[in-house]
Order: sequence, then structure tokens, then C-alpha cells
Amino acid sequence: MKTITVLFFGKLKDTWNTNKLTHQTSCKTIEELYLELLEKITEIPHKASIKVAINDEFANWQSHIESKDTIAFLPPASGG
Amino acid sequence: MFKISDKTLNESELKQQTLDKSAGGFVCFEGWVRDHNQDKQVQKLAYEAYPKLAIKEGNQIIQEALEKFKVKKIRCTHRVGLLEIGDMAVWVGVSAAHRDAAFKACRYVLDEVKSRVPIWKNETWSDGESGWVEQEYENHH
Repeated sequence: MKTITVLFFGKLKDTWNTNKLTHQTSCKTIEELYLELLEKITEIPHKASIKVAINDEFANWQSHIESKDTIAFLPPASGG
Repeated sequence: MFKISDKTLNESELKQQTLDKSAGGFVCFEGWVRDHNQDKQVQKLAYEAYPKLAIKEGNQIIQEALEKFKVKKIRCTHRVGLLEIGDMAVWVGVSAAHRDAAFKACRYVLDEVKSRVPIWKNETWSDGESGWVEQEYENHH
């Protein structure tokens, strides 16, 4: 099992009711992690609109997760 | 250079940072908090960012604009935190030898920042409710 940090931003904070959690997982990719995290919630977000990041760099759904990584889930930007 | 600021933006200071002796002009866009969005009366806004990623992506956008357009200097700063109606939310400034490149680069940076930089807007409406703004609401060029 790996221990990772998961960050949620914008409306995804409301969806998971937290902005940060420490999570134990055996998931290999961000997509697997996302599916695992869906078990914690009832309202399923629109996955196609979500961007993901690992350790402060944009990543993709198939990016591999290592122990101690920080994974972020980002809804569509609405700055400006 | 792209920055995130939790303090009131100082447009004269930002302009000074954008000036260049070889520039024949300067184009600037200031984005302000307006009192409505869609059919709702807005009371105030809160911007939240993923700062490390926002700064990287913002600087990447500026680098792209410097390569695409014949401009001298580009600065962009985006506010975070709680903003009131009329407060400046974003400032983009471009200096260039000629106006066409300056206008195009300013538009490019603003459009890309709005769609790519991880910053999110949470509005509080006149009925006391609040909510995250969806990107689709923002397609009013």
C-alpha cells in the first residue's frame, strides 16, 4: 500500500467535502485512484471536465502514482 | 511574468514593469468584479488558486505569447481571496514595437489564463447563497 495526499479544488472540494486527504491505496494510476475515491461520494462528477496533477505538474489519467505523491483533481478553471 | 496576489492589484506598478524603451505602445486589460452573472446579482467573489501549478501554467502562457507575437514584455497578475464589486481580478499588460502584436498578445494571454490556469471563482449572490462558477458561464467574449 502507498500513502498519498489527495487535493481537491473548486467545486470538487464540495463534492468530496474536503480539500485534502491522506489516503492509503494500492492503485497504480490516477484513473484507478479516481474510481476508488468515487466510493466515498454520492454525486458523481463529470470526469471529462476534470484535470489531474501529480506533485504540482499536470498529469493524465494513466499517470502512475508513487508513494508520497500529491495527486490533485481540478475542475474547469473559472478565473479572469 | 505571471503572479498570483492576495492583495489589491497596483496597476501603475504593473505598467512600470511592462514598459520597454524599444516599445512603441502598451496594451492592457483589467478584469473587474461585476455586480451580476447570468441572471443573478453578485455581492462578492472569492478566487481560489492552486498556486504552484497556476504560476507554472501562467508563465508557460506568457512564454507562448512571447514566441507567437513580436512583443517586448508581458506581465499578468491574478487576484485570489475575497473581492468586492469593482475590485480588479486580473491585469494583463503587453508592450510592443507595434500595436497589432500588442493587442493580439494581450488577448491571447487573457483567454488562455481564463481557460488553463487553475483558478476558480466562487460567487456570493444577493440572496446569500454562494456557488462555484462553471466555465460555461464565461463564454461572453
